[in-house]
Amino acid sequence: MTAYLVRRILALVPVLAVVVTVVFLLIHLIPGDPVSVMLGPDATPAQIQATRQALGLDRPLPEQLLKFYARMLRGDLGQSYFLDRPVTTALLERAEPTLVLTVSALLVAVVIGVPSGIVAAARPGSLWDRFLMLSALLGVCVPGFWLSLNFIYLFAVRLGWLPAAGYASLLVDPLAALRYMVLPAVSLGFSQSALIARISRSCMLEALQQDYIRTARAKGLSQGTVTWIHAFRNALVPVVTVIGITTAILIGGAVVTEIVFNIPGLGRLIISAVFRRDYPVVQGVILVTATAYVLINLVVDVLYVFIDPRIRYE
Amino acid sequence: MTFGRLVSRGIILALLAVVLLGGPALAADAPKRGGVLRVGNLGEPPALDAHWTTASITETLTNHLYEGLYSLDASNRPIPMLAEGHTVSRDGLTYTFKLRQGVKFHNGKEMTSEDVVASLARWGKQSIYGKALFAQVVEWKAVDKYTAEMKLKEKSAIVLISLAVPNNFGAIYPKEIAEKFPPEIKVTEYVGTGPFKLAEWKPDQYIRMVRFDDYKARNEKPNGYGGGKTAHLDEIRWIPVPEVATRVAQVETGELEFADDLNLDAYDRLTKNPNVRPLVSKPYYWLVAVFNKKEGLMTNQKLRQAWQAALDIEPIMKNVAGGKAEFYRMDSSLAPVEITAWHTKLAGLPWNERNRDKARRLLQEAGYKKEPIRFMTTQEYKWMYDFALLTKQQLEDAGFTIDLQVVDWATLVKRRNNSKEYDVFTTGMGAFYDPTHHIYLTASWPGWTTDEDILRLQAELARETDPKKRMTLWEQQTRQFYEKVPVIRYGDLFGLRGIRNTVKGFNEKTERIRFYNVWLEQ
Repeated sequence: MTAYLVRRILALVPVLAVVVTVVFLLIHLIPGDPVSVMLGPDATPAQIQATRQALGLDRPLPEQLLKFYARMLRGDLGQSYFLDRPVTTALLERAEPTLVLTVSALLVAVVIGVPSGIVAAARPGSLWDRFLMLSALLGVCVPGFWLSLNFIYLFAVRLGWLPAAGYASLLVDPLAALRYMVLPAVSLGFSQSALIARISRSCMLEALQQDYIRTARAKGLSQGTVTWIHAFRNALVPVVTVIGITTAILIGGAVVTEIVFNIPGLGRLIISAVFRRDYPVVQGVILVTATAYVLINLVVDVLYVFIDPRIRYE
Repeated sequence: MTFGRLVSRGIILALLAVVLLGGPALAADAPKRGGVLRVGNLGEPPALDAHWTTASITETLTNHLYEGLYSLDASNRPIPMLAEGHTVSRDGLTYTFKLRQGVKFHNGKEMTSEDVVASLARWGKQSIYGKALFAQVVEWKAVDKYTAEMKLKEKSAIVLISLAVPNNFGAIYPKEIAEKFPPEIKVTEYVGTGPFKLAEWKPDQYIRMVRFDDYKARNEKPNGYGGGKTAHLDEIRWIPVPEVATRVAQVETGELEFADDLNLDAYDRLTKNPNVRPLVSKPYYWLVAVFNKKEGLMTNQKLRQAWQAALDIEPIMKNVAGGKAEFYRMDSSLAPVEITAWHTKLAGLPWNERNRDKARRLLQEAGYKKEPIRFMTTQEYKWMYDFALLTKQQLEDAGFTIDLQVVDWATLVKRRNNSKEYDVFTTGMGAFYDPTHHIYLTASWPGWTTDEDILRLQAELARETDPKKRMTLWEQQTRQFYEKVPVIRYGDLFGLRGIRNTVKGFNEKTERIRFYNVWLEQ
């Protein structure tokens, strides 16, 4: 197991090297220029040229790429053009909001998704099943920003129960943090719960048709014990995979939610960085997201061992 | 009742009336000190260095932190700010500026002529207005602690106005900072003389500005951007809220006291909310299609004239303004109505001609054979995309072939500097405070207006100091503009802002928002 873990972690290196290089080339190859954005609409080409020189953006691309590698090996992701701080600092500042949002949305998604999948599978074709799966279908279809804006209009503007947007740090003011997080977590978690619910349902249906379930029933075990102890654990492997994927999506992909609810996380950072062509920041965020993807995959693979004793890694 | 009693009772009644009626009214009008004003805006500034960028968000923010020698009054004419006043030598070549004494920087240092000389020297190398002015300057030096002197090559009309414009402005920094940061590197130490000082900048979260207690205000009433400034608020918190629908919601819920740059469709919603007032911001932009006059199809003046002749501007403006007459204005003057000094009312200009026959004739004379014209726009600013799309339809009806290229803003501003990549691009023209500041009439700005007659008039306008003669030249330039068509002037578009009723003393008449002299009524 340890050898396996070491191997997997070492495999991170080539993956990240490829990701970083591709992102570097892509972002530099698309048209657009950070300096023209920064100097504003009335700047003249001569001014723009002078500032490009000052930032080293006039150097040939291979040279810039080599410098970037050299810096990265020293753990330095460079300096943001826009934010006047090192990219690592910017990333650290944005990590907390994104993590809090990810965890709370995941919580909502799992709490809604897994039980509804199981309940639906326990009585396939019933009214409950149809209602829950229809909601799941809605969750997949309704665009996130539409749901978010309607939540804001209803719960913040009309009813005044919750703040419309913003963020408070969990470490500074936990109560305010909770109030700010309810709407984004629910609107993001709801749409993510749909996939989990559908996967849970189909896996449970499959597990419930296995021979050992018939045996368990024949032994006279209660419906609850059969469903939760015998079927559920066996259905769990694909569900955990989906939850893993969802987590990865949430870390890098909560962009819309972060923008609508004005949460200063990684998603908002990368969107504004792309629009401003803040190259070092784009590279930094992608690097972090890619690492998160790989690590979450690893965690999921390790979790399998605990769920299903038949799985072993050599 | 004796007469004496009657009189005294009358006096008491009168006093009571003053207390009951006048008193509360007076108290409500008196500014209150304190409070935090939260302003929602579009995004993050690229810098808080006024010399460095022309970005409007930087203009808005830095004008709370820094001041220049001059500022603009309510009719957009220059008035002294950090300067006490100036004298001009008889030959018109030497300007001597007297500085106000006892003005302190946020770091406690007194502002003197060496700070002014160092700051404006830096500004003169980087800012578009500074460069234009310093091209005329042969010597710029401190005479004594509170006097600075500027010697010019030739007589100039643009000295004071250049020092007074709020955009990309001649902010006075301490000498140490002005000299530490070369012009092409943005300043990252923020020390000014303004009524607010920078307390904290957390990108994408907020910029906090707090009252500068040692601020030395001018002994005048507030006047436009200038005059006496008072920081009644303890703090201004600028919160970037990129999603416009969220900005609207937050000013409705009271999470923001002020929301800038809203979509026009929020107008009705804000009108219905009893706690919020919609503000129509004028001037905002006149919409403009800028031609590439360096190379390609649009170097042909007849083709540009055909474009101008074909347009029916009103339906375009109406559409861009969401059908609301409050949000657009049909006007051919190159300076908006609000810039009273330079607004022109000329009859018979070929603006908004709606004449397709003339357009077709001009196309024929131009020798145009349906070659596609590359028209570059962006959806990041919805109004740009909208007017480009409607223009395409109208022009194609008149016989043009338009290749509409929709790119993101960063791409547009990069490409427009390369004459090989486009024929026309969209943008907006904000307020220019002097005829020589209209960038689309210069050879250095994208689109490259190199027409000798236009540039000659620009040069004359820069030299001529008599206001009446300047106005005649400006009218001449306006007529010339519609003949040579360096760009297409559409109509004026206005912006929308939302303000809570608790915000008092806000000046609605300036192009960009200012929060000195503003207070909160709780």
